[in-house]
Amino acid sequence: MSEVRLSCFDLSRHYERGPQTVRALDGVSLELREGEFLALVGSSGSGKSTLLNLVAGLDRPSKGDVEVKGRSLSDLNQRDLANYRARHTGMIFQSFNLIGHYSALENVALALAFTGTPHTQRAEQARAQLSELGLSDRVDHRPADLSGGEQQRVAIARALVTDPDLLFADEPTGNLDQDNSQQIVELLAGLCGKGRSVLMTTHDLELAGRYAHRILRLNYGRIEDERELPQNRRES
Amino acid sequence: MSFRDLMRMALGSLHRQKLRSSLTISGVVIAIGAFVAMLSFGAGNQRMIADQFDDLGLFTTMLVFPSATGDSLQLDEAAVDRLSEINGVRLAYPYDHFDVEVSWGDTTVSVGAQALPTAALQTKYYTNLKAGRLSDEGSGTILVTEELLDHLQVEDADSFIGQNIVVAVKSASFDSAVARLFSDPDGNLQDRFASMEMDSLWEDGYLEGILRQELNAGTKRFLDGYLNAQALTEESFEICGVIQGGGSRRNRILPVILPIETARRFDAAGPSADPMELVPRIMQGEIFSRSPLSGKSYSQVTLDLHQYASHRAVSDSVESMGFEAFSFASQFEEIRRVMLFFNMGLGLVGLVALVTAALGIANTMVMSILERRREIGILRSLGAQPRDIRSLFLVESGAIGALGSLGGILLGWLVARAASMVAKIIMRNQDVQEMELFATPLWLIGFAMAVGILVAVLAGSYPARRAARVDPVEALRQE
Repeated sequence: MSEVRLSCFDLSRHYERGPQTVRALDGVSLELREGEFLALVGSSGSGKSTLLNLVAGLDRPSKGDVEVKGRSLSDLNQRDLANYRARHTGMIFQSFNLIGHYSALENVALALAFTGTPHTQRAEQARAQLSELGLSDRVDHRPADLSGGEQQRVAIARALVTDPDLLFADEPTGNLDQDNSQQIVELLAGLCGKGRSVLMTTHDLELAGRYAHRILRLNYGRIEDERELPQNRRES
Repeated sequence: MSFRDLMRMALGSLHRQKLRSSLTISGVVIAIGAFVAMLSFGAGNQRMIADQFDDLGLFTTMLVFPSATGDSLQLDEAAVDRLSEINGVRLAYPYDHFDVEVSWGDTTVSVGAQALPTAALQTKYYTNLKAGRLSDEGSGTILVTEELLDHLQVEDADSFIGQNIVVAVKSASFDSAVARLFSDPDGNLQDRFASMEMDSLWEDGYLEGILRQELNAGTKRFLDGYLNAQALTEESFEICGVIQGGGSRRNRILPVILPIETARRFDAAGPSADPMELVPRIMQGEIFSRSPLSGKSYSQVTLDLHQYASHRAVSDSVESMGFEAFSFASQFEEIRRVMLFFNMGLGLVGLVALVTAALGIANTMVMSILERRREIGILRSLGAQPRDIRSLFLVESGAIGALGSLGGILLGWLVARAASMVAKIIMRNQDVQEMELFATPLWLIGFAMAVGILVAVLAGSYPARRAARVDPVEALRQE
């Protein structure tokens, strides 16, 4: 059995909306192991993105805790939390979230600015990462000049360039066509084999069922169903 | 994030928003330009005063006076010697002045003269030479100021060099005074004696009245002999140099400057014929026995100090000797203090413009944050701390301040130069000596740069705090 990389205990996130309390996430507990590809599925508003923001350290839970390699994120101050995001996590978004006025190379190299990588090495590493994802002829292109699939691959390159343990993908195929969606999920699944763990949210149950090792279904902020897919696991 | 990263991102952002950035920077340029031009005027005036002080050697000059309180010590030759021995004093010389008559051709004028040792003529205060050279001790030459040339209606100082003038001193004659006292110039002593009523001689008040009348008449005859039957001592000198005259009330340069040995020859001729000088002489008991030169007292002694001498230490030493000290350097400090308030007033006007520019910067930064919320979210997701985001916007506003300050300093300098040229043209037309009223010293450039950046950073601090508080989750959700 591989090592637990990330654990959530009774994780809740509530928002006050006037007199009402919105329970975006309500008592979720889960584990993500090394090399595991975990898919979170559920309808819009089920709490998938909220869960992802909490485990990525972008948001603080109302209740419960997230532990990464046995260390609680609640104990981390702003600096340590930023360091955790910079060095241990990579985030991929549905809308790619690339900086429009930067080239593909600059977007990828930007992630290295927060890891203390020397300026001289940043471009080299970013270029290597883009080449690995088949974008060596797109390094100087701006996001507007790239297709959706290419933009998402640039975003994946940015997430991977710091060599993180954890990859969080929030609906990475939401803005892509079927072919590109498959390529991206296949790519993410392939990354798990290199010792990384991937937590992906998606609407596409079929695609998740094809590549994920495990699927969790969220509904109204709670885990409604969990399904193991041993046929998708490979020996790493 | 390193400062280099912050600078690169900040400048990149300014570059992308060219129009908005250039309008905001223009506001800073105008404000700093006004600030620099205003302070250049203040700095120019201060420099002008400092230069005048320096030209006259006033920074190394101290005046010593007898103490105004109680029975003060005399500023005599012995005191001058003791003053010259104070640590930091290069030279001590008395302000020894008297009236002379100067004759040149058919013209004779009465002017003031002062005696100076040759060493004093080497000090900055007396080296503002307009023509010729400084005189040498006992060489039969004399130094005069432009004021004497005015009196003699000589326009060209150079043409006056080498000319001979006759300097005459009228001195009171004690002999003639005594002779007048005992002589009977009116010739009616006999008549007055004959008219005395011997019978009334012992009557109350009669004899007292006669004695009072005789005493009054005797005093009148003595003074008449002392003041009016004056001895005239005169010598001919060759004009060797003309210096700028004038000076302050306390340190006035008189029209004729005599070597001290020459002055002593005049002094030896007798006491001054000036009634104002007679009274203190009588009070000091000098009227019947003229004291030797060493006993002569002065109203003022000038100390020429070493360049790096402590004015405070010298002043303390002078005061411990029982005299009063007046330092021009201290006076300049007072002027500087006044100039500081003047400069602050001028700077305040420039600051008003800077406040307006600061509002422009704040507005630009707030707009920038609204437009870049998603970018802030991305940076936070990549590992930026709130303080990185704050620094990014502070550096951006600081860059606006720095670029604006650079332009503003250039603009302010150009305005100051233009104003200076106009002022000089006006002075020339008004037949006033041209003066440089504006100066842009290095400290002003540095100060303006610092103020520009500081004001911009302050203006950007609120937007920067706002940017640091942006919720990354909300920001990333924004389309």
